[in-house]
Amino acid sequence: MSEFATIDLVPTEPVKAESPLAMCRVDVITEPKAQSAGVVVREHAFLGHLVLRGNAGDAGFVNGVEQALGVPLPLKMGPLSVDEARGVSLQWISPDEWLIIVPGGEAFAAEQRLRETLGGHFAVMNVSGGQTVLELSGPAVPEMLMKCTPYDVHPNHFPVGKGVSTTFAKTTAIIRRLDEDRWALVIRRSFADYLYRWLLDASEEFGVHVAR
Amino acid sequence: MTQPSSQPNRLANNGRIDRSRPLRFQFNGTSYQGYAGDTLASALLANGVDVVNRSFKYARVRGIVAAGAEEPNAILQLGRSEAEQVPNVRATQQALYDGLVATSTSGWPKVDGDVMGVVGKMGGRFMPAGFYYKTFMSPAAMWPKYEKAIRKAAGLGRAPRESDPDIYDHINRHCDVLVIGAGPAGLAAALAAGRSGARVILCDEQEEMGGSLLDTRESIDGQPAAAWVERVLAELAGVADVLLLPRTTANGYHDHNFVTLHERRTEHLADSAPLLNGRRQVRARMHKVRAGQVILATGTHERPLVYANNDVPGNMVAGAISTYIRRYAVVPGKRLVLSTSNDHAYRAALDWHDTGREVVAIVDAREKPDGDLVTEARSRGIRIITGSAVIETRGAKRVTGALVASIDIAGFKVSGRVEELACDTVGSSGGYSPVVHLAAHTGARPEWRDDILGFVPGKVKGQVVAGGVNGKMSLAEALADGLEAASNALMANGLEAQGGTLPKVRTVREGKAAALFDVPHLKPTMRAPKQFVDLQNDVTTAGIALATREGFESIEHVKRYTALGFGTDQGKLGNINGMAVAARCLGQTIPETGTTVFRPNYTPITFGAIAGRHCRELFDPRRYTALHAWHVKHGAKFEEVGQWMRPWYFPKGNESMHEAVQRECRAVRESVGVLDASTLGKIEIQGKDAREFLGRLYSNPWAKLDVGKCRYGLMCKDDGMVMDDGVTACLGENHFHMTTTTGGAAGVLEWLELWHQTEWPELEVYFNSTTDHWVAMAINGPNARKLLAELTDMDLSNENFKFMDWREGTVAGVPARVFRISFTGELSYEINVQANYAMHVWEALFEKGEKYGLTPYGTETMHVLRAEKGFIIVGQDTDGSVTPEDLGMQWCVGYKKPFSWIGRRALTRPDTKREDRKQMVGLKPLDSRLVLEEGAQIVLEKELKLPMPMAGHVTSSYFSPVLGHGFALALLKGGNQRMGQTVYLPMADGKVHAAEVVSPVFYDPKGDRQNV
Repeated sequence: MSEFATIDLVPTEPVKAESPLAMCRVDVITEPKAQSAGVVVREHAFLGHLVLRGNAGDAGFVNGVEQALGVPLPLKMGPLSVDEARGVSLQWISPDEWLIIVPGGEAFAAEQRLRETLGGHFAVMNVSGGQTVLELSGPAVPEMLMKCTPYDVHPNHFPVGKGVSTTFAKTTAIIRRLDEDRWALVIRRSFADYLYRWLLDASEEFGVHVAR
Repeated sequence: MTQPSSQPNRLANNGRIDRSRPLRFQFNGTSYQGYAGDTLASALLANGVDVVNRSFKYARVRGIVAAGAEEPNAILQLGRSEAEQVPNVRATQQALYDGLVATSTSGWPKVDGDVMGVVGKMGGRFMPAGFYYKTFMSPAAMWPKYEKAIRKAAGLGRAPRESDPDIYDHINRHCDVLVIGAGPAGLAAALAAGRSGARVILCDEQEEMGGSLLDTRESIDGQPAAAWVERVLAELAGVADVLLLPRTTANGYHDHNFVTLHERRTEHLADSAPLLNGRRQVRARMHKVRAGQVILATGTHERPLVYANNDVPGNMVAGAISTYIRRYAVVPGKRLVLSTSNDHAYRAALDWHDTGREVVAIVDAREKPDGDLVTEARSRGIRIITGSAVIETRGAKRVTGALVASIDIAGFKVSGRVEELACDTVGSSGGYSPVVHLAAHTGARPEWRDDILGFVPGKVKGQVVAGGVNGKMSLAEALADGLEAASNALMANGLEAQGGTLPKVRTVREGKAAALFDVPHLKPTMRAPKQFVDLQNDVTTAGIALATREGFESIEHVKRYTALGFGTDQGKLGNINGMAVAARCLGQTIPETGTTVFRPNYTPITFGAIAGRHCRELFDPRRYTALHAWHVKHGAKFEEVGQWMRPWYFPKGNESMHEAVQRECRAVRESVGVLDASTLGKIEIQGKDAREFLGRLYSNPWAKLDVGKCRYGLMCKDDGMVMDDGVTACLGENHFHMTTTTGGAAGVLEWLELWHQTEWPELEVYFNSTTDHWVAMAINGPNARKLLAELTDMDLSNENFKFMDWREGTVAGVPARVFRISFTGELSYEINVQANYAMHVWEALFEKGEKYGLTPYGTETMHVLRAEKGFIIVGQDTDGSVTPEDLGMQWCVGYKKPFSWIGRRALTRPDTKREDRKQMVGLKPLDSRLVLEEGAQIVLEKELKLPMPMAGHVTSSYFSPVLGHGFALALLKGGNQRMGQTVYLPMADGKVHAAEVVSPVFYDPKGDRQNV
């Protein structure tokens, strides 16, 4: 074995997979149709999630990440780097920490590319099993989010493309604004049930539709 | 139930009520009718209800005094059913709705003939101010008993005894400008700010926005003021970044312009929130506003004058009379006497006169009043008695007359003949106090202004004050001030005011007011009939005088001595008068006397709104493992560990917990069991200095741990005391997988970051939590290998996969890291897979495990099994005062490591080397069936005598099915030297248990079973 142990955690033969929301009960009144709902919730399960740590002041690191992932490394809080066609996003989390999201099954390949490309001190950690993504759409999403987070979601302060890691109910979540009407949350597996219940509860008054 | 037929005090025309929508309501069991647009107070007055309550301390009958938040008497209990009970509702702030049920909060059900009234009359003599403190404070031990009785007697309502059927929530809001109060100044400010593109929130506590404009005699732009209000609100409603919040009280003004607004969303509709579009809606909402600038446009509260028997129903604040007449079309009496120190209050007499009812007289404290309103009153032929005041009212349950006398304000004495005027209503006005409460919440002391005879808010960063609260009393001034405030607030936000134009208002000339607060009486203050300063708390001028005489000179002491401005009142109606009385008694000025501190909340708020949705299952996050659904399906009982829900035990059929745990323990010792260990904290560590870093964090050495190996580690705080433990595996030369205790995970990660960031930033290492990423399934027992072999491609032979090795492979087709570590002392494999695939692997284990009797076990069995082996649980067997050596874990301390480590220095102190420290031992009760109590104290002597030195305590205690007796782990002073001795454990019931001190390793002391 070498300096780092790497392992592709996705089974080669398909087996049953369960998202963090597999066991969640929905016990609010939901809207049968998305059109009549103020908030539409859709889970994007089983994506590849990687935490990247490194030195933003090291040009080799910054360039290497872009070379490996095909999107530039954001150097401060604000817009994510996104390649929508390939389903790749890169988000600044803290001064030496980023979240990479890639399509399901591609986390290991992304890690390999980073390890091949980058030299010096960095870390890349697979957290795909520990997180999931919820897409939120509908006219009432900003107001609903105001019931969840003290972070200001007004377009002046939270323009399209921005992402933050912040307080959400009594825990944390990553909030992203995908476009004018679509938002996304990245939430932790063990808190998913609580956050999902909180979210549906907060959405109920606006009419909430759960898209499958 | 009686049925009064009509509303004797209701006017046929005008007002902002809707006569086409009659509403039924009940008060103290009697049914009445009011109209949509009424408050409960206006509807009660319309129906001629004089007595609404008995007072807090003296149990005197009380009627409605004011028309807004400052009402001190009409504080009622609402609710049709037990669950819907709401205390502390001011009738003046409660919109009337159909089916409303209200009751008095004291003296009920017979508010006007209650036994407390008798006590109250006696109390007049026997319960002076300071009475509670003096009488009940000693002996101190009796206070809880006294307090219970007093509270019950006093009571301003009660909490419901059933669960609230409603829901409440919180919302976070951000804005450039928060305007508090939608009167003329607030509306002008909000309009200017809204037109300029700022993010604006305008909140107002009343049912309708408009404030004084809803009952003013004045017009704006040549139209009734209310029409201007309507236009402004319509325009603001159309601006995207303007939020209008009516029925919303700014209850707390906190640091950094954080303001809590309490919005009552459905309290005007029904007791419980009705469904909206078939969905639940919240009854009340707390808005947590972070504002760039706060514009306080909270207006003023009119001060009543203080005179004898000024609490008899029919005594009202002058402005409230105007409000009831003009806004609610209710004249609260037949014959009015108005006692005033200023011009503005004259409008009450004019409004009364407009209704065709009799104005007996206006009694003006000034010698030569001469403003526009005075002229109008004169021209109508209303009698004006100058240089005089009402000094006392007559009547029991309603005013029957007023004693009027000329007074010498400077000399504080009655200076002339006393005349009694027959009347049923006395309106009074001593001037207008700016509503400084919110600004005072921030700690800013109000500042006295002689020109307006009132305190204005102290300066607060980010706060702009406008209108009446800023001493701009006239309509024209208030509007202009609102505009200017908006301009200032916008500038502070880097915005420019646009489109601000002043509406046209005719100037009403008002003369200078007299500085009159409490009115002199024929008798001295201490002997005159009661002159109430604070009606809600029954504080009189005599009470304040007594306080100052007894040496309470600070206004804060006077407040505590008398209860002035206490509780839900927060000094709205009476505070300034109280300070004026104290100032007079102390022979000083009001600014020298100063104000008391006003505290949040401005008006009472339901607990529901404070709790929001943080209740029931949303109260606190509950964390679940990926296998939780299986545990539920298989009947697990759960235990909360931190926020995690962990299976505690899995009872079968009717098994008791003891039976289930015994069965689970035997299954592990005899065949194989499995534990969901996913909740253990997991931290991935990468970097070339990872190994060095571990060496500095843990007490034991890590330099020689090979790739593919695991090691148990102890972490100490810098004081040398154990803080966490766990197994860490070397995944690669620069790559480690650390595990922590379930509860310690977040704290350990922070600990690592702290030491890295602050002490050793030069070390190249990064950490990240991977707790949620992995699911860990620990299969334990002699058949563990056989079971795993059926599901894996790994070589499980003891030669190639030793105890404390880890290997990579697949389990049930899923890539896995398997750690051969053991918390039970049995042959054990901890299978780690990516959480999304965990259920598949877990179910596959049970499919193959059936023939081995694979048994799921929970935390209780885990505790028994680890304790049999003497394995500690940090936080149970340790308490932050236990060193590794106290635990007998010398083998886990590396004094020879080349670089120091956290806790090393502390562990070399003489105190941590003492031989008589509490050390971990095993205890074997002499009675083999006995399970000692955890926490039980250990003593060395069987005979109880005082003092009895404590020698230690039991930390873990269970019954062991494999040993066939109870056993315990304990911390015992000098325990290492006491092996074989008998110690004693005296219990609360008088029994004394005896136990033998033994090694803490009860089972398989050589550790053979885990190495097979």
